[in-house]
Amino acid sequence: MAATTAGGVAAQDKPLLDTKWLAFAFTIYTVFYMWVRWYEGVYGWAAGLDSFAPEFETYWMNFLYTEIVLEVTTASILWGYIWKSRDRNLAAITPREELRRNMTHLIWVFAYAWAIYWGASYFTEQDGTWHQTIVRDTDFTPSHIIEFYLSYPIYIITGFGAFLYAKTRLPYFAQGLSLPYLVTVVGPFMILPNVGLNEWGHTFWFMEELFVAPLHYGFVIFGWLALAIAGVLLQIFASFATVIGKDVCEAVDQGLIAK
Amino acid sequence: MSALQSAVRSHAEAVQVSRTIDYLGLFIFFFVICGSYHIHAMLTMGDWDFWSDWKDRRLWVTVTPIVLVTFPAAAQVFLWERFRQPWAATVCVLALLFGEWVNRYFNFWGWTYFPVNFVFPAILVPGAIILDVCLMLSGSYLFTAIIGGLAWGLIFYPGNWPIIAPIHVPVEYNGMLMSIADIQGYNYVRTGTPEYIRMVEKGTLRTFGKDVAPVSAFFSGFMSILIYFMWHFVGRWFSNVRFLKNT
Repeated sequence: MAATTAGGVAAQDKPLLDTKWLAFAFTIYTVFYMWVRWYEGVYGWAAGLDSFAPEFETYWMNFLYTEIVLEVTTASILWGYIWKSRDRNLAAITPREELRRNMTHLIWVFAYAWAIYWGASYFTEQDGTWHQTIVRDTDFTPSHIIEFYLSYPIYIITGFGAFLYAKTRLPYFAQGLSLPYLVTVVGPFMILPNVGLNEWGHTFWFMEELFVAPLHYGFVIFGWLALAIAGVLLQIFASFATVIGKDVCEAVDQGLIAK
Repeated sequence: MSALQSAVRSHAEAVQVSRTIDYLGLFIFFFVICGSYHIHAMLTMGDWDFWSDWKDRRLWVTVTPIVLVTFPAAAQVFLWERFRQPWAATVCVLALLFGEWVNRYFNFWGWTYFPVNFVFPAILVPGAIILDVCLMLSGSYLFTAIIGGLAWGLIFYPGNWPIIAPIHVPVEYNGMLMSIADIQGYNYVRTGTPEYIRMVEKGTLRTFGKDVAPVSAFFSGFMSILIYFMWHFVGRWFSNVRFLKNT
């Protein structure tokens, strides 16, 4: 029935995977973070060494205030939009449209993976080397302003965006709250509040940086929780299987695809 | 909606879609693992991995395999049990090495000018191949835990020896015996890691001096068995597909 409606026909003409959005998801983080890396490269040395100097306020503290405002705004608009534009009649979805949305959801998780790479791997270990180059005089060093208050919020915003997209647009994920998905997005989110413990401890106890200090173990545990991506992927594949599982099995039987 | 209506127009398109999912799924798994395994690695064995003068016979050899067998064990449960894909340990290690190398090159060297021959990461691929092949050939997690876990610990130091041996030749430096690695740490100043932070073998009055590396490697292998066993359950839990009910 739904396939004969105007919306159903229009959906059939849209590409299954919108490669423009895929390219956008990849490019936006890459270009933005390469600009950030350039900014750090120049102003880390030029204005980021002495946090009591006025240029630190200009080039780094203002960066911090700006990014926090922008993150709160972006999160509100993005999450709000995804929720407000939710599909209120998921039962009417055509299989073709369901497949297309599953592909779009994959783009969202792709963006999350790319964002978490920059946050958890690139800017986190980068902070390691900045610690070896300065003896810090503030909790808000240049690399902390980027690592904790820019790259972590960005992957958190992306993660909840992906979660909300699946929850509001895919019948498989709409059946409840996916436990592994919640663990995947809420767990690494907890890395951000854990910065509170971390900086509190560092402010009281030590200036030098031992990475394996027990004070850091909170980050380790919250990092583990991203492993729930395993369960999320299983659910994503199950969601795909409800729309193309039968066709893929038949293709295997016909020898079009290796077993 | 007809139950017979198909989402794809041909079987060829179904194959194409499934291939696209493969590529995107691989990207997702690789980079999420890269982020989380790297965080875990940095904060459990990072200090030994960053600097050539921390790569000693006692602590580095013990700590690194033990803490790093975790994610491979968990990923093996996911990828082997659900898909019969035998590259779980290797993909974890490749993801970690990718994250580390990008950082050492573009940040440790690129931003703060530490020489790459001072901040290169440890080699991990040999152990990962052994773990994967153990599981693929035996199909048994118990076998992989015991034989693979032990081998994972034992192969670590030999796997790295060709890289670190050249920095262990002795030098008489201002009247003191130092290895090249010691001199590197002495020369390239690290403000945040003063010498007393460095945890390396210093000898005790209750130990033999000669065979520290193999003894540490054996201990590390034994511990890796236990950690593999625990983390294989961790992987099982993380592979759950439960839904919480809307309330």
